[in-house]
Amino acid sequence: MRSILTIILNDLKIFFSQRGNLLGLLVIPVLLTLVVGWSIGQIGGGGPTRLRVDLIDLDRSAMSAQMIEDLRAANDALVLCPLDNDAEDFCRLGEEPLHLERAIERARSGRTSALIVIPAGYADALENFERTAVGFYSLSDPMQPDPVLQSLNAVLQRASTASMIPGVAGALLDNLTSAAQLPPIEGAARNSFLRALYSRSQQLLTDRPSPVSFRVADSNGDSSSVIDNGFNQSAPGMGSLYVMFTVLGGMAVLLRERRQWTLQRLIALPLSRAQILGAKIGVYFTLGMIQYAIVFAVGAAVGMEFGSSPFAFLAVMAAFVLCITALTFALAPWIKSEGQASGLVLLLSLSLAPLGGAWWPLEIVPDFMQTIGHISPVAWAMDAFHDLIWYNGRFPDVLPEIAVLVAAAAVLFAIGIRSFKYE
Amino acid sequence: MQTMVETRNLRKTYNRPDGSTIEAVKGVNLEIRQGEIFSLLGPNGAGKTTTISMISGLVEPTEGDATIGGHSITAEPMAAKRLMGFVPQEIALYPELSARQNLAFFGRMYGLGGKALNRRVDELLEFVDLADRQNDRIDTFSGGMKRRINLVAGLLNSPPLIYMDEPTVGIDPQSRRRILDTVKLLRDEQDMTVLYTTHLMEEAQELSDRVAIIDHGEIIAMGTQDELTQQVGEEDRLEFTIGEQEIAETLFERIQQKTPGVTRVLYNPTEQLSDDSSESVPALMTVFAKRGRTALPQILQELDSAGVEIQSVTVREPDLEAVFLALTGRALRD
Repeated sequence: MRSILTIILNDLKIFFSQRGNLLGLLVIPVLLTLVVGWSIGQIGGGGPTRLRVDLIDLDRSAMSAQMIEDLRAANDALVLCPLDNDAEDFCRLGEEPLHLERAIERARSGRTSALIVIPAGYADALENFERTAVGFYSLSDPMQPDPVLQSLNAVLQRASTASMIPGVAGALLDNLTSAAQLPPIEGAARNSFLRALYSRSQQLLTDRPSPVSFRVADSNGDSSSVIDNGFNQSAPGMGSLYVMFTVLGGMAVLLRERRQWTLQRLIALPLSRAQILGAKIGVYFTLGMIQYAIVFAVGAAVGMEFGSSPFAFLAVMAAFVLCITALTFALAPWIKSEGQASGLVLLLSLSLAPLGGAWWPLEIVPDFMQTIGHISPVAWAMDAFHDLIWYNGRFPDVLPEIAVLVAAAAVLFAIGIRSFKYE
Repeated sequence: MQTMVETRNLRKTYNRPDGSTIEAVKGVNLEIRQGEIFSLLGPNGAGKTTTISMISGLVEPTEGDATIGGHSITAEPMAAKRLMGFVPQEIALYPELSARQNLAFFGRMYGLGGKALNRRVDELLEFVDLADRQNDRIDTFSGGMKRRINLVAGLLNSPPLIYMDEPTVGIDPQSRRRILDTVKLLRDEQDMTVLYTTHLMEEAQELSDRVAIIDHGEIIAMGTQDELTQQVGEEDRLEFTIGEQEIAETLFERIQQKTPGVTRVLYNPTEQLSDDSSESVPALMTVFAKRGRTALPQILQELDSAGVEIQSVTVREPDLEAVFLALTGRALRD
């Protein structure tokens, strides 16, 4: 073990003694992480993306007005048309009024993210603790989280809860007066008491922080990604890209070691080939982890989130680096020149990284490209990072991605170790 | 004297891309005694490096085995490797590290550490007279300096046996002299066994207690220099460098038949150095004669009467070159 560590430390010393490597490990990835993170933040995180939502209020009551207000508070990205239309006609209404038929047609054609219809009698139904149906029209996939629907559900849940409280309180009042043999409270006094309860309960619910968050938006009918914090995408993405650059660069170094005979000199030492191979694998695994650590440290400094499971995060990093290290050892024996190695590093990194969603989230590409993208180990790593960062995932949530990366590493190592050239 | 290295039927076969095989080493049997300098002499491509690579555990033999101090290199590689140092033909050092860092690294790999390691590195840097350059990167060194560090990197564990694979390739005469003196010191002062490969007859002659001549993967002769030269008899070798001209075979026969003492005449015609080169190696006629200097005037007369243009004449006493020539019909340079 001591020999393995000595080789790893020696190789790291050689790696860090070259200024070009420091540039590739430290300066460029950090700059790219910041630039890409900032750019993505401008798209999604610099301010809420606006979602065009038609709203038809057939009730026109104080309660429907309250619901509209609650909707705005729940999600400030919603532009309720025509109420919140701006001077530039974000709602794209033109001169025509928005009536129900037109709003339905707009929602069905995808020109709006959704249509919400508050039915007539909405306030009465709530006050009387009766059923009512709010209309929701959208082209969005019902299996996918929809920020408009999530916001509406949250608001309706509050309204339902606020409506339920006077109902329960009325029954409680009746039971109390009956049990205490008091005269029943009826008429205006009873209604006034229950309405005051409703208002108070609604106030209390409104004052609570909104539980709604949104992730994917469809603002103009065009698909685009919205990410609260651009560094949540750029740090894992650029980190994965530069792990590939750094670790795959080992192909050229392994070739050089063979050509300058330092590898053969190691073999002539009292060391087993397994020790030498283990040390060389350890070198590139360590470099990959250092590369990730640098990028994530910068990400942390600029506000990147890491989710709530650092162990799972570390496991994903390790699984991806292991997979790329294995790829390096599987390819190294077939490399004939350092120029060929450099070309292959560029080709693999610059194809597998964008294909796997290192530059932009895979969610924004068509389904078939998402499927193809999973040829790349980057896609599995990014899926796992997204689960951890965006959905607060735990270790079991990313276990499938880790398993895929480790299985790929095992296969590639089997190929690499069998064909590794010592001479 | 105790045997330090013994090889038994050491054989190495490589597969070619077209599916055929090439036998680089064809059943080599050697016995190297403790405290001797043993040279493996042969032209480029004769199988010297493959043989030494098998003995040092770099290359697995296709057949046969080698023992180092009684330990089999295939069955007990760790025990065998602990007894040897290795100086490859290439500069097997990390060019980005200093001389001291290189030696310290390889020393640690032999299990040295702390003061013992520092002391050993100091000793070796002094030994090759490079203590003043110890903190300079290897890639700033001259070829000769690199060779000296390359050599002592194989001595870190003070091994009883050291392999040196053509350690003087590509260096200036001064550095070469220094390395040859160092090799002799290792034997004379430290009682080390040295297995030395070279294609230079002069080096083998100067250094070796015993020599094995290898050609086409086979040992064709082995023994002390006296034993080997006796194989070709007490003949002198007269080498005539000849200009670019056709020479009839009958001239060689005439020289051999008419000149007293001449036993054999060999002729290597002019050779182009490469297809696109105008330079060439001149033709060489080698005459073996019992009393070379006595036979010389008559041979010159024969050549002159045949109109052969002679560029130079050299008379050589019996040496390893003569042995190689006698055994293979080719010069070592071929």
